[in-house]
Amino acid sequence: MDEFIIATLRYGTPLVYVTLAGVLAQRAGIWNLGLEGLMIVGCCASVLGLVQTGSLLFGLGLAVVLCVLGSILLWFVVEKLRANPIIAGLGLTGLGLGGTDLAVQAIYGSQASVTAPEGLPRLGAIFGPAVGPYGVLSILVVLMPFVVIGLWILLRRTRFGLQLAAAGEHPFAARSVGVSPSRMRLVALSLGGVLCALGGAELALGSLQIFAYGMTAGRGFMGFSAVIFGGGHPIGSSFAALFFSVVGAIGIRAQLMFGDRVPHDLLLALPYVATVAGVWISGRLRGGARAAAVSGELRDY
Amino acid sequence: MMLKGRLITVGRAIAFVLLALILCGIVFQLAGYSAKEMFQSIADGAFLNPGAWKNSLRWALPLFITACGVAISFRCGFFNVGAQGQFYLGAIGATFVVDFMAGWPAFVVIPLAFLAGILGGAIWALWPALLRVRSGTDEVITTLMGNFIAGLVLIYVCSGILKDPSGTGQVMASRPVSPAFRISTNSGLSPTIIGIVIVVGVAMWLLVNRTAFGVLSSLAGRNPIMVVWQGAKLSRLGIAGFVLGGALAGLAGTIEVLGPNGRLVSGFLPAHGFTAILIALVASLSITGTAIVSLFFGGLAAASLYLPVLAGLPSAAIDIINAAIALFITARTVPGLARLAARRRASGST
Repeated sequence: MDEFIIATLRYGTPLVYVTLAGVLAQRAGIWNLGLEGLMIVGCCASVLGLVQTGSLLFGLGLAVVLCVLGSILLWFVVEKLRANPIIAGLGLTGLGLGGTDLAVQAIYGSQASVTAPEGLPRLGAIFGPAVGPYGVLSILVVLMPFVVIGLWILLRRTRFGLQLAAAGEHPFAARSVGVSPSRMRLVALSLGGVLCALGGAELALGSLQIFAYGMTAGRGFMGFSAVIFGGGHPIGSSFAALFFSVVGAIGIRAQLMFGDRVPHDLLLALPYVATVAGVWISGRLRGGARAAAVSGELRDY
Repeated sequence: MMLKGRLITVGRAIAFVLLALILCGIVFQLAGYSAKEMFQSIADGAFLNPGAWKNSLRWALPLFITACGVAISFRCGFFNVGAQGQFYLGAIGATFVVDFMAGWPAFVVIPLAFLAGILGGAIWALWPALLRVRSGTDEVITTLMGNFIAGLVLIYVCSGILKDPSGTGQVMASRPVSPAFRISTNSGLSPTIIGIVIVVGVAMWLLVNRTAFGVLSSLAGRNPIMVVWQGAKLSRLGIAGFVLGGALAGLAGTIEVLGPNGRLVSGFLPAHGFTAILIALVASLSITGTAIVSLFFGGLAAASLYLPVLAGLPSAAIDIINAAIALFITARTVPGLARLAARRRASGST
């Protein structure tokens, strides 16, 4: 059971961080499909920063800076150039995947992956043997529930959260009380960039300590789906993300238990199938996910 | 007025592609490459070297077919971003027929392989379409997830049922397609393939510009409420556009397997679907435009093979160019310009 929970948390923590970034963007009225690209930038920058300078903090800082810059680029294209957020987001994802590939090739030549000398601080190293088998989890896993609750407070219990929701759902109302929807979106996307950097760092340095091309494998898109499944609510969406991770962990368990009797590649597809099912259910319940943003177009009137 | 509108569309597309290329140049410089050398090598690999255009055409032909399908489903107002998965399923379907009917005569097997490929792609588009129309499930997510699932199915069949037993452990692939069933050599240019592309292009042009379906679908994309009021079935239109898009992607997959590829390789052409979406968008969803723009992106696809082998530069450069174009291509305005136009409209001097 312990192993199962650990597998779920390892799979789920990066996903929850990215989901929260998606929640912020969704609240501001932007369909952020660039999450996948921001996340891989977070993975790559944290590992390369750590390997090149030997400092974990530098790696994390680099990841945060680059992810925020990427988010600002998306904001500029969507808000100022009025591009379609879905296609622009997919473009940002492509830019992240291609850019990280180019960065690795520029520094290391045609090498498939980069291994980091150390990872994020582990629970076992901080609290000693008291935490038992959970000592292998990283510090960001423990931080995750606090970030979720913090974001819930920010979105549901503060003036800023209300203004953000207004900017997303009814920009005209927001503007009429002197809140600039454009600026609110910039803040939401930038904060999302920080969360994507954390998610990427956890994925790359939490348990594996490696960067490999395309290692996010659709987690950004899954996080986006969790936002839809959870109706844009921070806690609901986080639980949706954890649900996808449980399915992923079941796939890993099944692989260990049944061995070759069940095809390994099809078990890997389980989280994607769960994502489709989740979005399908939420569509049934809410009568279409498009209610918030028609065709993903930015509302600005 | 029509002509002027069209010229503005073309000019806008070219302007944003140039903007994307400038951004790429900056990225290349930052990564430590010479942007000038990079663009020079890309142009060499795509068009300038002797024989390069033949290679570009080889890549442009299947891309054109998939892009036509994408254009049609986008015209109906449905964001079918699952061209990659539909392309894979088409390739898998065709390979199954070729593999299991190896002893049969070619005139039976080849049409059946095409049928299986088209069906494979269509089925992979049908379920997101049904989910969208029946229960409002967002098609962007379902088709994206469909791409990942299709990629895993491709690995599964290449390492299982269709595996080439004589192959090495490095790359998983199916048995090579028997020469009798091939529709072109590895060069990918043969009268059969060019004929198919021309037939598809003309048929799609007629469908979009000369039929009720074409008119209604482009109206449905722009103003769905009006179409419903006029008594057309929006859901049927959407499913038809979606399935047609999938069928064309499946056809492209079949052409790749029976033509230049000659076998099914796990994870082959991972950028095909995304490039096809880009082509359709750069061409603003017109079929004529798609044909022209396909040549450009076919050139880029050829260059992505040329770069690492002959110029010693990473092929990721092409991915970055494609992505940057995607980032900008749907932009509708330049900052300041919109405000200027609005002011002119407000002052009444149209």
